[in-house]
Amino acid sequence: MSTTALAWLGRSAMRAVGGVGALALVAGRTAWALRGLERRELARGLVQFGYGSLPLALATAALAGVIVVVQAAIYIQRFGARAFLGWAAGYGVLWEFGPLLLGLIMSARIGARNAAELATLKVGGQIEGLRGIGLDPFALLVAPRVVAMEVSMLALSTFTFLVSILCEAVAAKLTLDLPVRVFFGTFAQMLSPSDILGGVVKTGAFGLAISLVSTAVGLRAKGGARAVGEAAASAVVLGCAAIFLLDFLLTTLLSRVLG
Amino acid sequence: MKRVLSFFGAPGVMLARTVRAGAREGIPWRETLAQVHELGGRSVWLVMSGMAFFGAVLVMIANAQAKKLIGNVAVLGPAYFEMLIRELGPAVSALLTASRAGASHSAELATMSVNEQVEALEMSAGDPYADLVAPRVVAGVVGVPLLSVLGTVAATASAVLVASVALDIDGRAFMDARYVDGWDLLVGGLKVVGCGLYIPLAAAVAGLNARGGAEAVGEATTEGVVAASLGCLLIDLTVSLAFQFVRL
Repeated sequence: MSTTALAWLGRSAMRAVGGVGALALVAGRTAWALRGLERRELARGLVQFGYGSLPLALATAALAGVIVVVQAAIYIQRFGARAFLGWAAGYGVLWEFGPLLLGLIMSARIGARNAAELATLKVGGQIEGLRGIGLDPFALLVAPRVVAMEVSMLALSTFTFLVSILCEAVAAKLTLDLPVRVFFGTFAQMLSPSDILGGVVKTGAFGLAISLVSTAVGLRAKGGARAVGEAAASAVVLGCAAIFLLDFLLTTLLSRVLG
Repeated sequence: MKRVLSFFGAPGVMLARTVRAGAREGIPWRETLAQVHELGGRSVWLVMSGMAFFGAVLVMIANAQAKKLIGNVAVLGPAYFEMLIRELGPAVSALLTASRAGASHSAELATMSVNEQVEALEMSAGDPYADLVAPRVVAGVVGVPLLSVLGTVAATASAVLVASVALDIDGRAFMDARYVDGWDLLVGGLKVVGCGLYIPLAAAVAGLNARGGAEAVGEATTEGVVAASLGCLLIDLTVSLAFQFVRL
């Protein structure tokens, strides 16, 4: 029994080390491949990741805004701090709910797709084919995705924050009958530009994590059609895990540096 | 407009067909158990670790807010606990389950329909709705509430731990159930049951409509995950807003 447990522990540890190594390898080779970045692939990625995700991102942003107000309303009703809603809701969406929900949705949408596509190419032997004719798969397939994801996430975060804050103001007016002027009064008074910077830094880190994790998982796929499905599912799971881990680390770190 | 209609309509039609087929043919309990394991057992670590991180992050945020407003974050404990049970526990657990189970359900069903195994099932007098969809729906309705209970426990435990270790305050304030009443449990329960019903249906709609090759499987997986996550967010929002209006 104990040997089985020990073997399991060893296997898990080996898998973890292998996973981290693969991730570092992908990151390093992507950074190396940035010079030979394929422009057309980058443009395609920007349209697909950024423009294609716009409706979903904006819907999520609106929902995030309303959810934050409904949640902040609990504090407001308990402690009677109506005037602080603008600050509390803005803080919540800029620091936490905006980046987190955008990251989770993008991990589900783009991460799964990236992993499935690269895994299909890997399983079909097409990656080996690219290497065979002297093309670098990292410059051709991975680096454009990483750059496109990063740019898309940073651009989408701006829209997300804007839309969620507008929705928050409207929701506060409708559910708590708080005048929009009061909402934006405390919002402008108590939030500083560094709060926006915190949210943008977080979103950027999530974008990098999602694209690196999903491409690394896709490139590691081995087997048949089943491996493609497994790669898609584990890209989503690992992407979510990376987002939560980064979220905790960055909240601790940034609130110390900026706050 | 058409997309909005199909987003809400297709799962509804799927539910009606599944209930009818399940009532007529009976639900295979062995497959249902396997699906409970697939949805619940294999998502439990994702949900618990994700919720543990989420609880820790929430305490850090609450601490930053309390520093500015009240001074002592422990005062926020009971309100925080109510918020976790009523809003965040169900919403985030369901979202995590939606991405894990939604992806695997829709990928599996899409592979089956692309390989014409669904047609083969129909040929051998099986009913795809009773044999494939109904067990997943039952597993969702049973599994998602259980997962969200475990997730909420994990979030509370990590909040207590972070508050007492990292922030040096009495973490037990975050387990204070002073404000939690039956309404909160009802709101949380409605959300998790709604999401548990919706996730398998959305994944089944995306999976069973897949046509083509390997590409279509990837497409269906993305679609299933997105539909399941968005649907869960919408359900949480609708329930929250409905109760907000009723109580005010």
